[in-house]
Amino acid sequence: MIVNASLDTRLTRLPLHVKLDPVRRGGAETEAHLVERSQAGDRAAFEELIRRHADRLYAVLLRFLGDPDDAAEASQEAFLRAWRSVGGFQSRSQFFTWLCRIGLNEAKRLGAKRAARSSVTSIEDEAVPEAPDWSEAPHSRLDQGELREVLERAVRGLPVEYRAPVILRDVEGLTTKQAAAIMGIREAAFKSRLHRARLAVRQAVDEYVLEGE
Amino acid sequence: MRLGWIARMQFMREHRWTHAHLSDHLDGELSANATARVKEHARVCPDCHRVLATLRRTLAGLGQLGAEPAPAGVADTVIGRLRREE
Repeated sequence: MIVNASLDTRLTRLPLHVKLDPVRRGGAETEAHLVERSQAGDRAAFEELIRRHADRLYAVLLRFLGDPDDAAEASQEAFLRAWRSVGGFQSRSQFFTWLCRIGLNEAKRLGAKRAARSSVTSIEDEAVPEAPDWSEAPHSRLDQGELREVLERAVRGLPVEYRAPVILRDVEGLTTKQAAAIMGIREAAFKSRLHRARLAVRQAVDEYVLEGE
Repeated sequence: MRLGWIARMQFMREHRWTHAHLSDHLDGELSANATARVKEHARVCPDCHRVLATLRRTLAGLGQLGAEPAPAGVADTVIGRLRREE
C-alpha cells in the first residue's frame, strides 16, 4: 500500500509530456511520429510502418496484378523505394496514400515488363438491353458468392487505367481525392474513369446473367 | 407529330445526361436539383432504372470484396530484404 502510494506520488509528478505522450495512442506509436523517425533515418521506425501497411498494400496490388508472386514482388519494391525516398514524403497526404502510389507505379512497371496479362485494352460501353434486373436478391440468378466471383473477374479484366480507380475507390473505400492523388490525375478525370469502369463491371455481370439464361 | 419529336429529343437528352451522372448520384455528389433530375428520368426510363439498380448492387458487391488474405510473412520478407540491402 505504501509502495502504491509512493508510485502514485511519483506518477503525478511526471512531466505532462511523459504522462500524455502525443506520439502514443493506446500504447501504439502514431504514424506521424514513425514517419518522422523514418525520415531521420531510423530503420526500426520504418520497419514498424512496413508491419502496419504490408498486408493492405499487398491486397491492393494482388487485385491490381492478379498474381500473388507479382503482388509480393511489387510490394517489396514499393517499400524499398519508399524507404529510399521517405525523406521527401510530405505529410500533407497520408502515408498509405503515398505508399500506394509508389506501389501502383511498381505494379505498372512490372506489368509492362511482363506484358499485360489482360487482353482487354479498352472499354466498350454498350447497352445490354435484354439483360434482366438482377439487383434484387429474390429475383436474382446470382447468389452472393457467385456475384463476388463475377465481380473479381470483371475487375481483373479491366484495362489497367480503369482497374485502379475501382480498386482504390470501391474496394478499398478511399475518397475520390485520395484515389485521384494516388493515380496522379485530377479528380474530374478520375471520376470519369471510375464511372466508365463501374459501368463496364456492371455490364460484365449483365453478360454473365444472360449467359446463364 | 412535331410535339412527339420534341418530346423524344428531350427524353434522349435526359437519358444521356442521366447515364453520365449515375456514379455521381450513387456517390451522393450531385446537387439536390441534379439528384431530382436523375430520379425523375430513372422513374420513367426502364433502361436507366435497371442500370441504376444494378449499378447500385455492383458497388455494394465491390465494397464487400474486402482484402484478399495476405500470405503469412509479407512484412517479414520485406523487412528482411530491407536489412540485407542496407
